[in-house]
Amino acid sequence: MIGMIMFGVALVMLMLGFPVAFTFGGVALFFGIFAEGMDLFAFMPYRIMSVMQNTVLMAVPLFIFMGVVLQRTRLAEQLLTSMGRLFGGLPGGLAISTILVGALLAASTGVVGASVVAMGLISLPVMLAHNYDKRLATGTICASGTLGQIVPPSIILIILGDVLGLPVGDLFKAAVMPGIVLIGLYIIYILVITRLKPQTAPAMPPDDSISRGKEIRDALLAIIPPLALIVVVLGSIFTGIATPTESSALGGVGAVVLAIIYRQFSFKMVWDAARDTVSVTAMVFAILIGATAFSMVFSYTGGDYLLEEWLLMLPGEQWGFIILAMLVILVLGFFIDFVEISFIIVPILAPVAEALGINMLWFAILVAMNLQTSFLTPPFGFALFYLKGVAPPNVKTTDIYKGILPFILLQILVLAMIIIFPEWFGMSATY
Amino acid sequence: MRWIIKLDEGLAWVSKVCGWVACIAMILMAANVFYDVLTRYVFNDVSIAMQEMEWHLYSVVFLLGIPYALRTDSHVRVDVFYTNWSQKRKAWVNLIGALIFVVPFAYLIGFYGYSFAQDAYQMGEGSGDPGGLPHRWIIKAVIPFSAVFMATAGLNMATYALRVMAGDKEYEGEHSAGGLA
Amino acid sequence: QDKFTLKLAETWGPNFPIFGDTTKRFAETVEKMSDGRLTIRIDSANKHKAPLGVFDMVKAGQYDMGHSASYYWKGKVPETLFFTSMPFGMNAMEQYAWFYHGGGMELMQEVYEPHNMLSFPGGNTGVQMGGWFRKEIKSLEDLQGLKMRIPGFAGEVFAEVGVNPTNIAPGELYTALERNTIDAVEWVGPALDLRLGFQQIADYYYTGWHEPATELQFLVNKRVWERLPADLQEIMRVAMRTASYDMLVHSQHENAKAWANIKQDYPNVQIKQFPEDIFQAMYDANKKLLTEAAEDSAIAKKIIDSQLSYQEQSRAYTDISERAYLNTMAEVE
Ligand code: NA
Ligand code: NA
Repeated sequence: MIGMIMFGVALVMLMLGFPVAFTFGGVALFFGIFAEGMDLFAFMPYRIMSVMQNTVLMAVPLFIFMGVVLQRTRLAEQLLTSMGRLFGGLPGGLAISTILVGALLAASTGVVGASVVAMGLISLPVMLAHNYDKRLATGTICASGTLGQIVPPSIILIILGDVLGLPVGDLFKAAVMPGIVLIGLYIIYILVITRLKPQTAPAMPPDDSISRGKEIRDALLAIIPPLALIVVVLGSIFTGIATPTESSALGGVGAVVLAIIYRQFSFKMVWDAARDTVSVTAMVFAILIGATAFSMVFSYTGGDYLLEEWLLMLPGEQWGFIILAMLVILVLGFFIDFVEISFIIVPILAPVAEALGINMLWFAILVAMNLQTSFLTPPFGFALFYLKGVAPPNVKTTDIYKGILPFILLQILVLAMIIIFPEWFGMSATY
Repeated sequence: MRWIIKLDEGLAWVSKVCGWVACIAMILMAANVFYDVLTRYVFNDVSIAMQEMEWHLYSVVFLLGIPYALRTDSHVRVDVFYTNWSQKRKAWVNLIGALIFVVPFAYLIGFYGYSFAQDAYQMGEGSGDPGGLPHRWIIKAVIPFSAVFMATAGLNMATYALRVMAGDKEYEGEHSAGGLA
Repeated sequence: QDKFTLKLAETWGPNFPIFGDTTKRFAETVEKMSDGRLTIRIDSANKHKAPLGVFDMVKAGQYDMGHSASYYWKGKVPETLFFTSMPFGMNAMEQYAWFYHGGGMELMQEVYEPHNMLSFPGGNTGVQMGGWFRKEIKSLEDLQGLKMRIPGFAGEVFAEVGVNPTNIAPGELYTALERNTIDAVEWVGPALDLRLGFQQIADYYYTGWHEPATELQFLVNKRVWERLPADLQEIMRVAMRTASYDMLVHSQHENAKAWANIKQDYPNVQIKQFPEDIFQAMYDANKKLLTEAAEDSAIAKKIIDSQLSYQEQSRAYTDISERAYLNTMAEVE
């Protein structure tokens, strides 16, 4: 029960505005010492060490570095505004460009801290400069930055494959359609909302001094270099030159090369970019360390056993089970992170699902869809904190909380579609 | 008051040095990963030592970055109420938070991190993989070092809050990560 | 009568097949045999987050017990390497004989004692497979510059014959193999390899030589052990030994099942054996590395000598019993 009370206290403390990372750490500290004594924290060096040796997380500083360099050299702005221009008088062009770039990044990394922050650096200033509604802009970035969780290669799917004993290749294949549908729905949503409320995402003003033909040609020309960089990053993964993590270094070095080509390079630029990268990376990892202290206290005070007990009370009939299981994961996703859910919750649900004759591949995709939502649900959605961490002061936490809601609804819609019409996604609900 | 200003500036300098080291590590790490990809793909050569150096550098980036980011107020806050509060009220939040959250948290990590690194030193721990890096204690020792600097940065947060209360300094808007985006 | 609860940290995640079943069986046996006086609480890697910190945590007393593999501590205490499995070493039966009757346990305690721990055999995987390769290895030439995920001592042997051992995060292993970032992956055996999906992307599954009898390990903090009454110590001993034996037969069972599945569902998978010149080169490399290890440490020399002489004697008998029988079977089938 201590774990549950701790969540409530942390929520209240967060509202006071003290840095999120240390609020998590501090609250964990009090509850941990109270319940288990000081020595519980002897585990902390091990937990920090496991973050240090989790080389997949190296993508965080490397992608952020790429994002900062692209931003400082204004190449990101050039990419997005040119893409936006291609959409001509269509409102929402920048948002759609953001989703497309996010989808490309998603196919390279699955690390949310890396892609949300990089997307935030690349596209938030551009959208705000073009008078986009703050909520629409931040919602778009958080949602498209989190796509990497479902779009393969994805860490969630690899973990689920391990926990459920399913071949990773099958999971990757099964996740492609849901990923595409999700991206498609995001774009449709932008098109609809900008039709209803054009002022939330103004169209790029057409350049009257040149013809539309020339405008398109200029835009295409301007897109090529930064887009080529993204293609290099992706291409290096697809051709096996680099692992997804390593590809982020190619992105960073590539961005510097672009800066040289565009005569934007200076050692000061690189040094400033490194400094920004260190600040933002530290913000992300401080949250990870605070959160690991938090989850340590949660589980060592018996929170994990309590969850197990609750889960064993789920109904034993197919539809009731699926719907309640999805609700439980969605609600838990508000509070605890996907690795914990994959390792604690899924193994409890899996045997029940198997006994009901549920197709485990389908079940895994449902869980994965659901888990990527957990990064986005207020109040503890990490993607929201990460974006807040790089957003200008006039973007409030509440803007981000409100901005993400429509996207969460879309994700739940896709989840419902996979549940009701698995055949649309090339799957079946049962064997 | 004067000694508080002196102390505040001294502590700020410590965090800045951390940031400086982290920046160097950041640039080296990007170069290191790039080099490893290049040698593997072009020269078909792999060095486990160089591969391990990647995560050594990456650890330095965030472990020393955390105190630096405390100094630059780059750690994200939930600003539902915080932004609208007066300088004085913000100072109280930061003063109390620094003293009851940051410093004790850093103390525990440092205390247990020290024996963690010391144990590795006594055993002469190194990598178990072919051609891996020796002296694992060095990178493990970065954990207690980071904790010490986290604690000094926490004290620095407190001294800064005192200066704000005295009207000598102000919080410049609310700038998580300096409003980088 | 006093009741005891021992906290056990395992290197594996919760519900990790075979390995995790071993600790669960052990805990059940202990609880039943002691009529509830001794309870084992198992914490998996998702809880303690330190799969390779089990040694340190048991040593420091943060956990009373651990379940792991001895060769993971090679970077800390090099001599721990020898208690898991050695390339071209003993098979499971020979190795158990060495542990329990040939002086192996005594040598193992000698290595662990200074670290305030007792170590017991903790279950065996049997012969591990040699790994998944995307192209066939026909000669030593084919191994030159081959990028392979192969950690530890076996990695050193591979490195000696020209392979490039490469580190890849487990989460990226599948993608790395699929996209030829690396050429080969060594994991465990059919039952566990199947879960990672390598059979979908690699056609050549090589037979093993590098880990002929991978033994897991129970670690017990010495002070905790000494606090237990003699009858509970004996219950622990019996339960650990039973759990180990159970794991060996359970591995055989699950691997046989998984292999049947692979044969049926993935006809692309071909079983291969390295050609003789490769084996010879690796055999020599292994010998050279062992000689070096023996020169570095007196206790390593003692262990290596004990293992090699025991293996020689034991193998001579295996040759006229197990091997002779399998050869006979091969002739009549
Ligand atoms: Na992805
Ligand atoms: Na193995």
